[in-house]
Amino acid sequence: MRVALFVPCYVDLVNPEVGVSVVRVLRKLGVEVVYPQGQTCCGQPAFNSGFFDEARSVGRHFMDVFEGEEWDHVVCPSGSCATMVSHYYPFIYENLPDERDRAEELAPRVREFSDFLVNVLGVTDFGAKLEGRAVFHTGCHQRRELGVLEEPQELLKNVENLELLDWRNEELCCGFGGTFSVKMPDVSVAMADEKIKALVESGADTLISCDSSCLMHLKGRLARKGRDTRVLHLAQVLDGNGG
Amino acid sequence: MADRAEFLQKVRHRTQRGRYKPTNAPDVAWTPKDEPRHSPQVEDPPARFLEELEALGGHGVRVASVDEARDHVLSVVRERGANLLVRWDVEELEALGVDEPLGRAGVGVAVWRDLEDFREVAGKADVGLSTAAWAVAETGTLVLEGGPGMGRSVTLLPPTYVAVVRVDQILRTVPEAIEKYSGGPLPANVCFHTGPSRSGDIEMSLFVGMHGPGDVHVILVG
Amino acid sequence: METKKPANRRETEDRRPEGLTSPVEGFNDRARRAVRDEELHDSVELFTNKSVAGRNAVLNALPEAPELRERAYRIKQETMANLDRHLGQMADAVEGRGGNVFFAETGEDVVRYIGDLARRRGAKVITKSKSMATEEIELNRRLEEDYADLDLEIVETDLGEWIAQLAGDTPSHIVGPILHMNRRRITEVLSETAGERLPPDVEALGSFARRRLREKFLAADIGITGANFGVAQTGTIATVTNEGNGRLVTSVPPVHVVVMGIEKLVPRFEDLSVFVRLLARSGTGQKLTVYTNFVTGPRAPGELDGAEEFHLILMDNGRSELLGTPFEEALYCIRCGACLNVCPVYRQTGGHAYGSTYSGPIGAVITPLLKGGKEAKDLPHASSLCGACWEACPVGIPLHDLLLKLRNKQVQEGITGRAQGLAFKGFENTMKNPALYRISGKAGRLAQRPLAKAGAPKTLPGPLGAWTNSRDLPKLAPKPFSQLWKEGI
Repeated sequence: MRVALFVPCYVDLVNPEVGVSVVRVLRKLGVEVVYPQGQTCCGQPAFNSGFFDEARSVGRHFMDVFEGEEWDHVVCPSGSCATMVSHYYPFIYENLPDERDRAEELAPRVREFSDFLVNVLGVTDFGAKLEGRAVFHTGCHQRRELGVLEEPQELLKNVENLELLDWRNEELCCGFGGTFSVKMPDVSVAMADEKIKALVESGADTLISCDSSCLMHLKGRLARKGRDTRVLHLAQVLDGNGG
Repeated sequence: MADRAEFLQKVRHRTQRGRYKPTNAPDVAWTPKDEPRHSPQVEDPPARFLEELEALGGHGVRVASVDEARDHVLSVVRERGANLLVRWDVEELEALGVDEPLGRAGVGVAVWRDLEDFREVAGKADVGLSTAAWAVAETGTLVLEGGPGMGRSVTLLPPTYVAVVRVDQILRTVPEAIEKYSGGPLPANVCFHTGPSRSGDIEMSLFVGMHGPGDVHVILVG
Repeated sequence: METKKPANRRETEDRRPEGLTSPVEGFNDRARRAVRDEELHDSVELFTNKSVAGRNAVLNALPEAPELRERAYRIKQETMANLDRHLGQMADAVEGRGGNVFFAETGEDVVRYIGDLARRRGAKVITKSKSMATEEIELNRRLEEDYADLDLEIVETDLGEWIAQLAGDTPSHIVGPILHMNRRRITEVLSETAGERLPPDVEALGSFARRRLREKFLAADIGITGANFGVAQTGTIATVTNEGNGRLVTSVPPVHVVVMGIEKLVPRFEDLSVFVRLLARSGTGQKLTVYTNFVTGPRAPGELDGAEEFHLILMDNGRSELLGTPFEEALYCIRCGACLNVCPVYRQTGGHAYGSTYSGPIGAVITPLLKGGKEAKDLPHASSLCGACWEACPVGIPLHDLLLKLRNKQVQEGITGRAQGLAFKGFENTMKNPALYRISGKAGRLAQRPLAKAGAPKTLPGPLGAWTNSRDLPKLAPKPFSQLWKEGI
C-alpha cells in the first residue's frame, strides 16, 4: 500500500509535528508514504469566503499535484481539508465538465486519517499509551459531510490508560469556521467558550481531534483563558507523542 | 399589483429560466442507509389511543355501552360543577340521552342549532360535547369534521371538552386518517385535535388550557 | 482573562422592529452586544437545548423519518418546478368552494387588500394567529398607519406574539417568538396591561392572557392567519397551533383572511401526511401539533360558525425570484425552526441579532435573497458553515451550501470589498505557486521572531487583531513539515 500524504497548509506551517506523527503511524503499519512536492493548500479559505474562482484555481493546482496512479490513496490529517477535496471540488466545478470529472475521480481516493486507518487498513488498535482523561471533538465536516464519527472513538478506546469522557453538546461547532473566526470574532469566541465550558465540566485534561484547525482555535482560546489543557491531534496520540 | 394571468405567467417564466438542477440534498444522517424502515404496527388501537391521550394530559376511558358512556359524561359534568353544556346536534348524541338527566340536575343544555348568537352560548358554556369522525391511536388524536350541527366552537370555547367515539372509529396512524380525506372534497373544516390546548411560550413552562379546552375527555364506546 | 459585563437589557434601538422592508445591516454589531448579554444567553440556551432534545427524541422514535425527509424534499421540488400550475389549481379550488383569491405581488398589495376589506366590512377588531408572512410585511403596523381612519384594533393571539406585541417587540424565533424574554420581563409586560401587579408564575400569567384574549376572539370581525401548508388540489389551508388560537381565529369571526407565501403549496392532500408529521416533530418535538386545522373555503350552508367570507391572499413578495435559480431550495422551508435551535451562531446571539423577521440559518439565507443586493450583506457570513442546520432540516435544504453560494454571489456582484478581493487574489497566487508559498512561510517565521523576542505580545494590530483580541496567536513552527520531510522523518 502506498499513499500520498496531503499536509494542509496550517499543519505544514504551524503544527508540522502532526504530519510527522501521521508518517510514523502509517509507516508502523507498513504503508509506504509519499509526500508529493509542490503541495500547498486545498483552497478552502477562498472557497468559504465566496471566492470560488480563486478556489478553483488553487484546486486545479491541488489536482495537478495529487492526481496520479503512483499511489492508492491520498491521506490527510484533517477532516475539513479532506472534505474540501472530496465534497466541494465536485461542487465548485459543477459546470466545468473536465475539472468535474477530475474532481470526481480524485474525491473517493482522498481519505481523512482516521477513516483511512479504520476503513481502508482495518486497524483499530495500535497499542498506543497515553495517561489522561480526554474529550474528543469531531470537526463539523468530518461529522456531517464525511460521516466519520465512530472511527476516531474506536481508535481512542484502544489507547491504554486513556479515559474517553462524554461532554455536553459535543456536536456543536468550535467556532473556528476559517475566515468566520476573524470576520465574526465575538460570536466565534462565544462558541469556543461554550465548548470550553463543556470541556471543563467534563473534567477532561486533554482535548483530542482529527482537525488541527479546530484545535488551533480552541488552543488559542484556552491559552488566553489561562488553561493548561493538553491539546492533541489523534495522530499524536497514536504515535505516543502526547507529551 | 398583478392580475392572476400576469402573476402566473411570471411565475411560470421563472420556473423555467434556469433549468436549475437542485443539489443532491437531502443527505447525511437522515439518508436511508438500507431498506426503508417503518414504525411498528399499532397493536391494540383503543388501548394505544388512551395511553397517548393520557400522556398528553387528556383523560380517556373505554366503556362497554352507550349507557355507561352517558353516565361518564354526567359524572364529568357533575365533577366540574357545570351550569351549561353545549353539544353537537347529531343523532348519536341524541341517542346518548344526556339532555334530560342534565336538565333534571339543573344543568342547561344548548344544542347546536338555531342559536341566536353562537358566540354567546359557546363562550358561556362550561362543557362542550361532541362526537368525532375518527380517532387516531398512535397520537391520541380526534378527527373533528365541521358541518351543520357540528359547531367548531363547541370543541374550542368551553374549558371542558368531552368527545364520545365508537371504538370502530379508531384508526391506527395519522397517514390513515389523512388518507380518509385524500380523494374527495373536504368538509369546510377538519381538525386533528390532539390533547389539551397548551402553550410553552413562557420560559418553556407548560401552561394547559391556553385558548382551547385544558380539560379534555374522550369516551371510547364498545 | 476578560470578564463578562453584568447582565443588562439591550438598548431600545436594538429592539427596533425591523421587517423585511427595513434595511438590515450590522449583524456583527448586534451580535457583539448579544453575546455579552448573559440573561439573553440563558434564555436562548434553555429554549434551544430543550427543543433539540425533544426533537431528537421524537424523531429517533420514528424509523421512517429519513424516508419522510426524502419525500418532503421531492414533493417540494415537484411543487416548485410547476408552481404556476399548482397556484392556478389552488385558486380554482378555493373559488370553487366560494372563497375569494387575490394574487399579491408585494406586501403593499396585501395591506391594501386587507385594509379595503376591513373598510367594507366596517371591521373594528382583527384577531391574528401567528404568521411569519404577515410579520415579514409588517402588516399590523402598516394597517394601523395606512388605514388610521378605521381605528382598527389588531390583536396577535398566540401568547408569545401577543406579549411581543404588547411590549412593542418583535419575535426572535419562528416557533418560540419570545424565548428571549424571561418570566420577570413577561410579568412586567402583562402587569402593565392588566393594570395590576400579576404574580410571576405561569399559571397566573397564562390565565390572565386567556381571559383577556377570549374577549378579543369573541369580538373579532376579521380573523387573519398565515398558512403552514396550502393544498393545491383541494384549496385547503392547514394551520397548526398548540394553543388553539389558529382554530379560534378561523372559526369565530365572520371573515377569515389567509396570507400565504406562494411557496407554501403542496400538490395533494395526502402530501400533508409527510409534512405535518415532520413539522410537529422538528419544530416542537411533538408527534402532532395539538390543533392541526384544515380549512377549505367558507362555512357550508347550515353551519353556524366558521367564516362566512373566506379570502386567500397568495403572496409573492420576492419569492418567485428564486425559482429556477441555485437558491430555489430556500423556498422548500416549512418554518419549523429546527435550524435555529441547532445553529451554534443562533445559540450565541438569539434571533434579534439577525435584524430581520427570519433569523438563524434560514433567515441568513432568505433575508438577503428576498431583500436583494447589498441589504443584509452580513448575514451570509453569520455562520461557521458547520452544517448543523442542514442536518436538522426536515426537508433537507442544504442551508450551509446556500450560504456559500450567497457569499459567492456577493463576490460576483462586487458587494464584497476590494480589499478582500485583493487578499484572495494574493492567496490564489501564493497557493498556485509552491515556491512563493514556501517563501511566504519563511517570511512569516522571520516576522514573528521580533514579536517573540519582545515577550509574546497578546494582541496585534490590523486584521490579526480580530483573532488576537481574544485568542492567543498560533506560532509558526521553526521548520515547516515540508522541510522536516526533506531532512528525513
